[in-house]
Amino acid sequence: MLDNRPLKMCRRRFLASVAALPALTGGAFAHTMPHSLPWSPFAGDPPKPINPLGWYFLTPSEVITVEAIVDRLIPADHLSPGGKDAGCAVFIDRQLAGSFGKSSHLYNKGPFLPGLPTQGYQGELTPSGRYRIGLKALEDHVRAANAGKSFAELTGEQQDAILSGLEEGKITLKLAPGFSTRQFFELLLQNTMEGFFADPLYGGNKDMASWKMIGFPGARYDYRDYVEKYNQPYPHGPVSIMSGAPGWNVKG
Amino acid sequence: MKRLAAYFAGAALLAGMLAAPAWSGAEPDYQQVHDGRYQAILGDCMGCHTQPGGRAFAGGAALETGFGAIFAPNITPDAATGIGGWSEEQFRRAVKQGVSPGGKRLYPAMPYPSYAKMSDEDVANLYAYMQSVEPVQRRSTPSRLRFPYNIRALMIVWNWLYFQPGPRKLDASKTAEWNRGADIVIGPGHCGTCHTPKTFLGADTSAALTGASLDGWFAPDITANARRGVGGWSVAELVAYLKTGHNSHSMASGPMAEAISYSTSKMDDSDLKAIAVYLKHVPASSAAAGSALAADDPHMRAGAEIYQDNCAACHGMDGKGENAIFPPLAGNPIVGQTSAETLARVVLAGTQSADTKGAPTQPAMPSFAWRLNDAQLADVLSYVRGNWGGGGPVSAGTVAQLRRDLRPNRR
Repeated sequence: MLDNRPLKMCRRRFLASVAALPALTGGAFAHTMPHSLPWSPFAGDPPKPINPLGWYFLTPSEVITVEAIVDRLIPADHLSPGGKDAGCAVFIDRQLAGSFGKSSHLYNKGPFLPGLPTQGYQGELTPSGRYRIGLKALEDHVRAANAGKSFAELTGEQQDAILSGLEEGKITLKLAPGFSTRQFFELLLQNTMEGFFADPLYGGNKDMASWKMIGFPGARYDYRDYVEKYNQPYPHGPVSIMSGAPGWNVKG
Repeated sequence: MKRLAAYFAGAALLAGMLAAPAWSGAEPDYQQVHDGRYQAILGDCMGCHTQPGGRAFAGGAALETGFGAIFAPNITPDAATGIGGWSEEQFRRAVKQGVSPGGKRLYPAMPYPSYAKMSDEDVANLYAYMQSVEPVQRRSTPSRLRFPYNIRALMIVWNWLYFQPGPRKLDASKTAEWNRGADIVIGPGHCGTCHTPKTFLGADTSAALTGASLDGWFAPDITANARRGVGGWSVAELVAYLKTGHNSHSMASGPMAEAISYSTSKMDDSDLKAIAVYLKHVPASSAAAGSALAADDPHMRAGAEIYQDNCAACHGMDGKGENAIFPPLAGNPIVGQTSAETLARVVLAGTQSADTKGAPTQPAMPSFAWRLNDAQLADVLSYVRGNWGGGGPVSAGTVAQLRRDLRPNRR
């Protein structure tokens, strides 16, 4: 709706508009953006490498079990070291002690309702809580079925049979409501793979072993010189975020 | 409501009338103020006398000299804390002789040995301009010089030893353009304040404009040296650098980025061309920048790997960079200076290029302090210098020292 009445200039309106002028033009100066873009020296937000010593979440007996599990999920062979030597248990321990283990990045309050199978675990337990319950239930099951022997004391074949049983639903552990044995196995497998392939600064993938195995070049970001060299292997070894590559250091 | 509006209108008008005269002081001559403003640009008064993000001319950030920290004072016309109470003669004595009212001696961080070459008319115009800027009430920060440099009277001796007042003599054998360039470079432009090596007492040596260390940067050689100086740049390229902070050889950062933003980018094109013509005739420096390591030296090999993994993505394995975004290293004078201070600092702390109307993008270099240790940083610098600068290697100790100097509060 436009007001079609002619705008009449009267004394009051004139004074008011003159008064508004300095306010309006002053405002324009006040909002002029400074030319320079924000920048500060030494800017950077590098990830914090883990402390390689000690254990932060797992108990000594849990460490033994987890190390045995990761070494069966990724056994040492001519392609790479095993999950234990690659540091997967260290990776899992640091993750469980950190924000992942506490679910601090997720909504973690009720109501807890059963979800679809594709939605994964929907209950109240954090990943660290699921590890604590799962590892205890696994040990209880193994000791009951193997005359008091722990998981780590079994032979490789026996351990494989148990892990397959967890994966295929042949073994049912006494876990919490809404937390299935298969979900526990998948959590273990997922975190073991993450530890094996993540940057070494998080505790696993020692000496970039998995990257060397699959030929992944690591934290690089420019391949222009090689992108048209078809059917030729990329000639450079992997680079990690914090410790770079062995060739960066002069020996001796 | 309407009555209220009218009341405010009246009040605003009244306030405007009262405020205006308090700002401008006695009737300034427009032409004088205008010319003086240009002198302030030539002299880059802003560079030292304004804090980053602070009020114009209200006093600067610390300038770290070899003798301690100096803070450029408030030079706005505020009567209590600035130079509002100074007469033109007092102003001229401070600018051209380094003596402020009351006889206090200034340190030559205030480049009065250069400003002494300015004509009295230019300084009078500068005075008119400085008295016209917005006064800011802000106490100047006292300088923190170590004994015995904190005794200002010693400057009398210093002046007797080093100070050469009086205008530069016209060189009739050179063109008017060359002479104009010389007048700016030696006079208000005070290029030598940063770019000329100093004696142990902070006076210019005879090796004019061959490069010097200051405030954690190495102000590069700007003689006609083809490798390290501006000898390899055309006049047009040199003008582009001074006008925009960028050309196909290099990008300005650090104190030069400031000097370009505040000063040279605002100079007339004819003056920039005169400066370029003059600089290209300054006798080339001869000091060697050291010799490069052999290509198969273990430090060069490590440096090559570090370069490939960290630097090549932007600067290219051939060191040619990308035009207008990533400066080249091959042929970049910063790479081949006698000192690797600026080069090392740029890799350690990162940097941002100059902000000018002609090139507002300001490409920035990230900090690598968190990723490379002292030995790795030294090796990659040795590689870059050896490959593209002809400069000698850099030691891990040099990098470690620089790291400590730049971040004294970190272990």
